[in-house]
Amino acid sequence: MRLKIIRLITSGLFGFIVAGLFYTQVIQGEYYFRLSVNNRIRVVPMEGWRGQIKDRNGKVLADNRLSYDVTVTPQEIGNATELFQFLGGALGVSEQSIARRYGRKKDAPFVPVVVAQDISREDAIIIEENKYRFPSLSVQESYRRFYPLRENSAHVLGYVGKMSVAQRDRFKEYGYSMESVVGYSGVEEYYDTYLRGKEGGLQIEVNSRGQQVRLLGVREPRKGQDITLTIDSEVQRDALELLGDRVGVVIVMDMDSGEILGMTSSPGFDPNIFVGSRDASEINRIFADPLAPAINRAITGLFPPGSVFKVIMATAGLETKKIVPGTSFVCPGFYQLRKAVFRCTHVHGTQNLIEALAHSCNVYFYNVGLLLGADAINHYARLMGLGEKIFIDLPYERDGSIPGREQRRLEGRGGWHAGDTLNLSIGQGEVQVTPLQLVRLMTLVARGGWIVQPHVIKAIGDVPGDTFTDERRMKVDEDILETVRKGLRGAVADEAGTARVVNLPDLYVAGKTGTAQTSGDKKNHAWFAGYAKGGVRNIVFCVLLEHGGSSYNACLLAKDLLLRMQEKKIL
Amino acid sequence: MGRDLEKKIWMYTTGIMIIGLIALYSASFENLRVSRQVFYDQLGCAVLGLILMYVISRVDYRHFYDFAYIIYALNVLLLLLVLVGGRHALGARRWIDIAGVNFQPSEVTKIAVIFFLARYFSKRRPRFLFDIIGKIEVILMEIIFPFFVVILSMALIFKQPDLGTAIVIFGIFVAMLFAGGLKARYVLGFLGLIAAVVPFGWHFLKSYQKDRLLVFLNPNIDPLGAGYTVIQSKIAVGSGQIFGKGWFAGTQAQLNFLPERHTDFIFSVIGEEWGLVGALVLIYCYYQLISCGLDVAQQLKDKFAMLVAVGVVSILTLQVVINIGMVMGLFPVVGLTLPLVSYGRTSFLAFAVMVGFLLGLNKRRTVF
Repeated sequence: MRLKIIRLITSGLFGFIVAGLFYTQVIQGEYYFRLSVNNRIRVVPMEGWRGQIKDRNGKVLADNRLSYDVTVTPQEIGNATELFQFLGGALGVSEQSIARRYGRKKDAPFVPVVVAQDISREDAIIIEENKYRFPSLSVQESYRRFYPLRENSAHVLGYVGKMSVAQRDRFKEYGYSMESVVGYSGVEEYYDTYLRGKEGGLQIEVNSRGQQVRLLGVREPRKGQDITLTIDSEVQRDALELLGDRVGVVIVMDMDSGEILGMTSSPGFDPNIFVGSRDASEINRIFADPLAPAINRAITGLFPPGSVFKVIMATAGLETKKIVPGTSFVCPGFYQLRKAVFRCTHVHGTQNLIEALAHSCNVYFYNVGLLLGADAINHYARLMGLGEKIFIDLPYERDGSIPGREQRRLEGRGGWHAGDTLNLSIGQGEVQVTPLQLVRLMTLVARGGWIVQPHVIKAIGDVPGDTFTDERRMKVDEDILETVRKGLRGAVADEAGTARVVNLPDLYVAGKTGTAQTSGDKKNHAWFAGYAKGGVRNIVFCVLLEHGGSSYNACLLAKDLLLRMQEKKIL
Repeated sequence: MGRDLEKKIWMYTTGIMIIGLIALYSASFENLRVSRQVFYDQLGCAVLGLILMYVISRVDYRHFYDFAYIIYALNVLLLLLVLVGGRHALGARRWIDIAGVNFQPSEVTKIAVIFFLARYFSKRRPRFLFDIIGKIEVILMEIIFPFFVVILSMALIFKQPDLGTAIVIFGIFVAMLFAGGLKARYVLGFLGLIAAVVPFGWHFLKSYQKDRLLVFLNPNIDPLGAGYTVIQSKIAVGSGQIFGKGWFAGTQAQLNFLPERHTDFIFSVIGEEWGLVGALVLIYCYYQLISCGLDVAQQLKDKFAMLVAVGVVSILTLQVVINIGMVMGLFPVVGLTLPLVSYGRTSFLAFAVMVGFLLGLNKRRTVF
C-alpha cells in the first residue's frame, strides 16, 4: 500500500517534468530558438570612411585620419582598480575619470566600452604592450574626421558628430545607425548622404565570453564620395585674416557661374573640436558664446541692409517711371516730414539719380520713396530677391523680411506711416536680409537682370554639379540697370564716392556702401556690396562688419581682399 | 521473474550511462578545441561503475545491515574532515583526498543515510499506542531521534555548503519514514512542522543560496549573475524544440553559453542537441529503472531490504526530478547531479553502487 503511494508520487513527479519539458521545448520552443540564435550572432559595424571635401583647387578641407581609442570589455575586466590605475597613469588622466566614464557607458558584458578616445600613437603602443596584463584592454583603430585648415571655411564645411536620437529616428530608414557619424551644418550636413561611407560590418559567431569563434560574413564598408567645392581656400584665408577679431561676413562669388569662392563668417570655430569631443567644455563654449561663432552669418544672419537698399529704390523708381535718370532733388542735409526731421549724411545739394547713388544721399531716396509708396518698394525688394530664400546648397538659410502695410496689419502693430516709408527707403528699421541676398542683388544689377544660382558644390566624385549653371532672367529692364550700374560705379570712381577707397587701377569695381543703424548704443553695421570686372573672372562680393561702425571700414576690407586676390591671380 | 527484473535494471542503467557519455562527448568539445579528458574520465567511471554494480550485487546485503551504523559514523567523521581540511572548488568545500583519490563524502552520505535509516526503521520496538506516553515515545523514537541523527550529517553537508544534497537527504528521510510503516498522521504532522520551521531557515542560507532562491523566483533580477545559468540553460533546452539541433550542433553548449554543462547542467546539452525526443528517451530510462526499483521493494519480505530499495528509489527520483526541473528553471539551482549522466566521479560511482544494491537485494529475495 505504502509502496503504491510512493510509486504514485514518483509517477506524478515524472509527469510534472515531462509536462515542463513539453512546455519549454514545444510550446515555447520557437521563442527560445530565436533567443539562442541572437545569443550567438553579433554584428560588428564597420563605419565606412567619409568622403573628402576639397576646395576648387583640390586642396583638402576635410580629411580622415587614423585615431586610436582605448576600450575595455566588461566581462574580462578582472581587477578593475588596477586597470584604471594603469590607464590613468599611461594616459595622464585621473583614475576616477576613467572609472566614471567606464561606469557611465557600460552596457552589455561583451560590448567593449570606450574609456579614452583619440589617444596618441605613443600611448596606444604603451597600452598594447600591457595587454597581456589586462586582457580586457584593447586599442581600436578608427577613422576620424580631420579639418587640416581648422577655422578656414568652417561654416561652409560644418562638422561631424555622433548622431542624435532625434536624427536617428528620422534617418533610420536610410541605413543610419545610432553610432553613425553624421554631418552637422554646412556641406557636411547638406551633402551627408553623398559624403557618408556605406556602413559595412562583420557578422560573427561568438561564444559566451563574446569572443569571436567564427566569421560568418563580411560586408566591406565603402568610402563615401569625395566632394569638390567652389570655395577657394586662399580667398577664405585672406578673408579670415582681414576680418581678424571683427565680427562680420565676407562673401565672394563668381558672377557668371554662381560659384561661391569665399564665404567666411566671423567669429569662426575650429570644427576639429567637435570631432573628438574630448572636452565637452570646448564645445559648450562655442554654443554659449554670445557672438554665436557656430552661426554662418552669411546665410543665417539677418541684418538691415542700410543704404545698399537704395539699389532697390533706384530700380523701382525707374521701372515705375516715377523718376527718370535725370530727375533731381535738392538735399539740404535733412528731410522734414511734418514735425519729424530725417537726416542725411551730408548736405549734398542738387543730386540726380546717379549722383545720389554714388554719394548715398538719403534725401534723394526719401523723395523717391514717397513717390513710390511702401507697396511698390516692397514689391520690387522681393522681385529683386530680398527677404526671400536663395536656396543655396547649405542648411539653415533664413529668408529675412521686408516690412510693408500688409505685414503691419497682420501683426496688429498699428498702421503704416509715411515715416516708415522713409526708413524703408534707406534700408533701415525692420528690413532684414542675409548678406547672401545682397550678393545676388549685385549679380542681378551687374549682369543686367540675369542671375545664377549661388552654390558651393563643384563636383560630387567625378560628376560636376552642372545643375547650378542655369541662368535666369529677372523682370528688370536692362537699360534701367545700366543706369543703376553707373551710380554704383560712381560710388567707387567719383571723387566724392562713398567707396572711393576701393577704386583700384586695373579693375572695374562698382558697389554700394551701407551703414545700418542698430538699436541701443552699439555701433552701426558697415556694409559694402558690389562687383568687380575686368580681372581673371568677374566677381560679386559683399562685406559686412557687424557693429563695424562706418561703411568705410567695410570698403577698406573689400579693397584689401580684392588686392590680395589680384596678387594671387584669382581675380 | 527475478532474472527478468535484473536484466531490465542492467539494461536501463547501461542505457542511461550511454546517453550520458554521448552528451558528455559533445559537451567536452570546448571552443572548437577538443578536451576529451572529461569524456575519458567518465568512460573509465562507467566501466568501473558496471564492475562495482556486479561486485556489490554479489555481496550479501545482510553484511550492510551489520555495518550500517559504523558506516554512518565513519561518514560523519569524513564530513567533519571535509570541513576542516577539504579542497575548495566552485566556492564550496566538498572534496577530500584519501590515499591520493579525492572524492566527495557528501555523495557517500546518501548511502550511509539509507543504511542507517533502513536498519533503524526495520527494528521492531515495543509500542504502547493507546496512552499518551506511548505516543510521545513513538514520536521520540521513530521520528525525533532518527531525524536528529540524520540532521547531524545534513547540517555538515549544508555547511559545505551543499543545499541540494541536504534537501535530497531530507527527502530520503521522509520517504523511508513513510515506507517504514509509521502512521500517516505522524508523517504528515512532521512534514507540517518542518514546513512551519523552514522560513526561519532563511537566515542560515549562504548569500549565494539566497540569491539563487530569489533568482529562481525571477531570473531576470540578475541576468548576468546568478540568473545567467538558469536563463542560458532554459534557452538551451527550449531551443532544442522537438527533434533537437543535432549532436555537436547545440550552439548554447558548443559556444560556451552554458556554464557547468558537463556536470549539473548536462541535461541542457541533451535537451538542446536531441530535443524533446532525446530527453524523453532518457527520462523513460530513469522512470523504468525507478519502477524496477519499486518492483524489487514490493517483492521483498525483509523490511531492511525493502527500506534500502525505497531509499535508493527516492534518491534517484529526487535527483532526476530536481536536476531536470532546475535546468528548465522549474526549481531553484541547488547543485545536484543528474544520476549516472553528470560528470563527477564520486556521484557517478555512488549511484552505480546504489543500483548494485537493488540488484543484490533482488538476488537474495528468494533465499528466505
